[in-house]
Amino acid sequence: MVLKVFRWGPGTRERLQKYWVRARQGMTVLDALVEVQRGSDPTLAFRYACRVGMCGSCAMVINGRERWACRTLLSSLPRGAITVRPLYNFPLIRDLVVDMAPIKSKMVATKAVFVPVRRAGEEASFAAIGSETRERRAIDAAVECIGCGMCVSACTMVGHDARFPGPAALNRVFTLQRDSRDAAHAERGEALLSEDVLARCHGQANCTAVCPMQLSPTDSILALRRRAVMRLFGFPQR
Amino acid sequence: MGSAEAWRDTKAGMWAWLLQRVAAVGLLGVIVMHLKNPFMRPVQATLLGLVLLHGMLGIRSILLDFGLPARWHRLLLLLALLAGFAAFALFWKWRWY
Repeated sequence: MVLKVFRWGPGTRERLQKYWVRARQGMTVLDALVEVQRGSDPTLAFRYACRVGMCGSCAMVINGRERWACRTLLSSLPRGAITVRPLYNFPLIRDLVVDMAPIKSKMVATKAVFVPVRRAGEEASFAAIGSETRERRAIDAAVECIGCGMCVSACTMVGHDARFPGPAALNRVFTLQRDSRDAAHAERGEALLSEDVLARCHGQANCTAVCPMQLSPTDSILALRRRAVMRLFGFPQR
Repeated sequence: MGSAEAWRDTKAGMWAWLLQRVAAVGLLGVIVMHLKNPFMRPVQATLLGLVLLHGMLGIRSILLDFGLPARWHRLLLLLALLAGFAAFALFWKWRWY
């Protein structure tokens, strides 16, 4: 089996390098990359941690689509050479390794950070919200983000507008805007109405199509947009 | 692509977005041709086709905006295209002059 792997490092030209790997039953793309690194090319750089589809560290673009390498069986891909490249829309460090810092910086920029409600004379309020409550059910599908960056890579609008926060940050904002323990709804709501935030999403649902946790950042963004529009028309939103 | 970036796939939602934009740009030219001579059948057919394509995909976007689950977007794309074809056939068959 032929692996065509994107290679680049400071001072070198980018290229697709071919490696031959003997495919075995149950072998994943990550297994193949590890075999290359341990065998023919120890200089090949890529990131992984748990190897069992939990952490999202091995997110990369395999055959043109964002996937986690540890959960992508070679047998699940069409016959022929397999192309592997780093995630789009992130600064490249080397080979398949990208700098994930934009995930955090975009969250900070959109104030996607929990701000606890503080009542006079009380400590910060961290009361648990019951799993059966309406409030919790509204965000249930959005809280499982593992920050792998696949949605950001698949989003064409992130590539087009550097100020667009992208699906991961806006999905996080959605969960906070629906959290009654959070005190920054109004402040965040103002930021969401700026030209480069909610209005920039074109609803292509690329983020939803590639999310390995089966989340739907598109639904989160559209829900935020509906609330923002209601707010614009003067209907108070919590 | 001209670099070692390789190709990337185009997902259904992106096709829907792209088709709607292409139809809009196409409409600009076809409307001008239609205004010059409204009786050319091929221009009429193209105008009707592009209007329906653009409109049906627009309705799909509005339905998603109003809260239909984004997981349905592929089905909605299919329905929009089918409804467009059906409406085209219906209108084209119905010649009122």
